[in-house]
Parts: sequence; structure tokens; C-alpha cells
Amino acid sequence: MTEKKTPLLDELEKGKWPSFVTEIKRAAVKSEAAGELLQVLERSYNERRGHWKHGGIVGVRGYGGGVIGRYVDEPQTYPNVAEFHTIRLLQPSGWFYNTKALRTICDIWEKHGSGLTNMHGSTGDIILLGCKTEHIQPIFDEFSEAGFDLGGSGSCLRTPNCCVGPGRCEHACYDTLEACYNITNEFMDELHRPMWPYKSKIKFSGCANDCTSSIARSDCSVIGTWRDTLRIDQDAVKEYVAKKFDIQEMVCDKCPTRCLTFNASTQELSVVGEDCTRCMHCINMMPKAIRAGKEKGATILIGGKSTIVQSAFMSWVIVPFMKMETEDDFEPFKDLMRRIWEWWDENGKSRERIGETIYRLGMTKFLQGIDVPPVPQMVFRPRANPYVFWNQDDLDRSGTALDGSKL
Amino acid sequence: MARGPADPEVKAKVLEYLGKVQKAKSRDVAVAIGATKSDVDNAVKELTAEDLVEYLYITTTFICLKGKVQTPS
Repeated sequence: MTEKKTPLLDELEKGKWPSFVTEIKRAAVKSEAAGELLQVLERSYNERRGHWKHGGIVGVRGYGGGVIGRYVDEPQTYPNVAEFHTIRLLQPSGWFYNTKALRTICDIWEKHGSGLTNMHGSTGDIILLGCKTEHIQPIFDEFSEAGFDLGGSGSCLRTPNCCVGPGRCEHACYDTLEACYNITNEFMDELHRPMWPYKSKIKFSGCANDCTSSIARSDCSVIGTWRDTLRIDQDAVKEYVAKKFDIQEMVCDKCPTRCLTFNASTQELSVVGEDCTRCMHCINMMPKAIRAGKEKGATILIGGKSTIVQSAFMSWVIVPFMKMETEDDFEPFKDLMRRIWEWWDENGKSRERIGETIYRLGMTKFLQGIDVPPVPQMVFRPRANPYVFWNQDDLDRSGTALDGSKL
Repeated sequence: MARGPADPEVKAKVLEYLGKVQKAKSRDVAVAIGATKSDVDNAVKELTAEDLVEYLYITTTFICLKGKVQTPS
């Protein structure tokens, strides 16, 4: 293949960081499609417009998602990327691979596709970039034989994703790897069969550091937390003091609820457990002295998403604490998800994420629809953000009207 | 808690409705037969296992009687 100049893309190779341009150029030595991909991209940068068409009917037998059609708008100019479909594969929990698995993925992909991968996409899948329509079924068959399955695409459950969890992190409040694996297997039908108003994502983070960014990037965030009080090792606190670590300024003053108090004379740190919001700041600052409580589980939040119909939403609490220790503990979560999806499926408009449906119809209707009682943790600030209103039934039972008069 | 077995009456109505159309989305079937979409989904899941109904993926998921619609090659 004649090498063509790509001056704008070459700029992206400068600097100390890895460059996707360098990697595509390396792939272009063996793959003509990768070479043409660079040409299309260089042209897009020059003309300031994209040359890709998205969608179309491509897929494998029995699956409604996992393959995303991509076509270039000038197939005669770029014949090798005229069809350049993307394939999503379910990733292992926590992205743990051995070299044999990685070699298997790459060997199959180089045999049938462009050889370009994105490890990993923002939902977490293994993304395989660029293959022709005729190769889709053979690729799937070989990956299936090797033990892999397709991820989600379209209006379905997207591939659930988790942080590295107890695999490498002492902060994990539950086994995110097991939860993600177990719950992904439970909802295979929802993952491979797009039939909802739009996409739905679940992300599992082991603690409030939220390494999967679940609160902003998933419709359902499962974030590790604890129900009791922080555990403080006072000897370790004294060691921090000995090392001139300013506990008052770096920890207590930055605690969002000011629940921590440092006594400089006794060099002891104390906490008011009821005021703690489990934000992880103190644990991050003093990991040798402060640990999460003993009674661990997860908080379930709903409604996070990027800008689509409405602006970007952060998810908000619907279940403050749920045990996530054993397989049996996952059952209430699965049951909750089924009720949430059922309500959304009945009430959501086309291309409306669940957060937007709740925003349109109200939290009260949502909570009634999924049969979850309102609790104080759902409210941003008491009397400032009344997502939840009293029903007439509640007032009748209490015997008091909204204005305080007796009914 | 997983869903229980589908309602035989809903299954019969789904089959009857699909006999009148080429293909349909399960939401449209639900409206036409006066059932909830989740009940229709549950019924369709069983009907596909019984080889009476099949899913068609044409940008979204349609359902039809088995073999009634030729899948695009």
C-alpha cells in the first residue's frame, strides 16, 4: 500500500503519552483497512466533518445486539473500510485476563477483522473495531467456541461493569466481581434482546470512590457502603501525627458533614457515626488509621445518564443499604431491577432513559410503581428538595392535613 | 424473584394476534390484546421456547409466528 501523508494525525503522536495514531499506523503495516482508517480520519480533521454512517441491520443469529453497523460514506474511495462494523464482547469482571485469553481474542480478531481493538469501551466491553459483514457470523462462532459472548448494544441492558473490587482494593465493601458476574448471567435475555425504550446500564463500584463513575454514567449505580460506624485505630492516628500529617486541616476540615473531631492534646480522632455520609474522604487520606465499618453492603441509586433528552443527570438513592455478601443477597437486587425495568418499559417514551422518565413523571409515581417506600436518604436536603409528596391515603391515615389541621 | 410461568390466556391471545399480522413489537401486541407488556414478554419467551414464535431483530426487536417472516440475508 502506498503510504499517504497524515500531517494532522501526526500531531497526535507528539508528547509523552500513548497515541492511538501510532497504534493504528502499526496495525496498518498488516491491515489495509487500518491504513484507510487513517486516511478517513485525516480527511475528517481537514473537512471538519465525519465520514461514517452508523447503524444498519447487522448481527448474528439469535442476538439483537452486540454488533454495531459502521459504513463509510464514500465506499468507492475507501473500499477496505466500506464496511467497518464494531463488535462488542462481554468483558470478564474487573478486566482480569491471562495472556492466553488475550492472545485468543487477538488471534481471532486478526484473522477476521482489522486487528484494531479498544480495551475497553466506556461501558466496559472489549471493543473490536472494523470488520466486514460477511465475517460477523464466523467471528461470533469462533469467539463463542472460545468461551466469549457478545455484549449489549441498542435499546437493551448494556454490558454491566464493575471496579476491580476485592481483587486488588482494600476499600471494596462487597464483592463487585462476583456481583457483576452473577447479575450479568441472570440478565442475559435483557442484554441480548433490545426491547426497552432505550439503553439501560448497571455499574458496580465497591465504595464511594466510585472507580466505575457509576453515579454519572449508569442508570443503576450499585455503590459499596457500610451501615455501622467508621473504625478508627488510635495508635495509627498517632503515627500520622508523628509524621507531621495535619489531620485537622486535611481530614476534619474537609469532611463534608464535619462528623470527625481531632483532639490535638490527646491525639485522638473521633467520629459521630450518625452524621457520616460514607464519602470515603477520611479513609482515602488516612487509610492506615481509618477503615469502613464492619456491616458492609451497597447503596442502590437510579437515573444517572449523559445528556440526551434532558441534560446530564447524576443518579440518586432509592435503596440506602442492601446486603451484597452472598448469592442469596443478590436476589432482592434482581427483583428490584425487574420491577424498575417493568415500570420504565410501561411508562417510558422512545429513547428516554429511566432517569428522564422519572424526571417527567415524578419520583413519587416511580416509587409507587416499583413498590419502594420513600426514605429520608432519597432527599437531597430536608425540606429543600421534596421529591416525595404525601398521598391522600397517607394523610388520611395520619389524621392531619398538609396545613396541619385535623382531618 | 424470577417471573412465574406465563398466563396461558395471554399466550393464546398473542398467537391469535400474530396470526393476523406479519410482525409486531411486543408493546403493540400488549396494547392490542389488552395485557401489560411484561406479561406479553413473558408469554413470548415461553412461546419462543415452544418454537411457535420467533424474535426478529430489525434495529429493534419484533416478534412473529415462527417462519412467517423471511429474515434478511
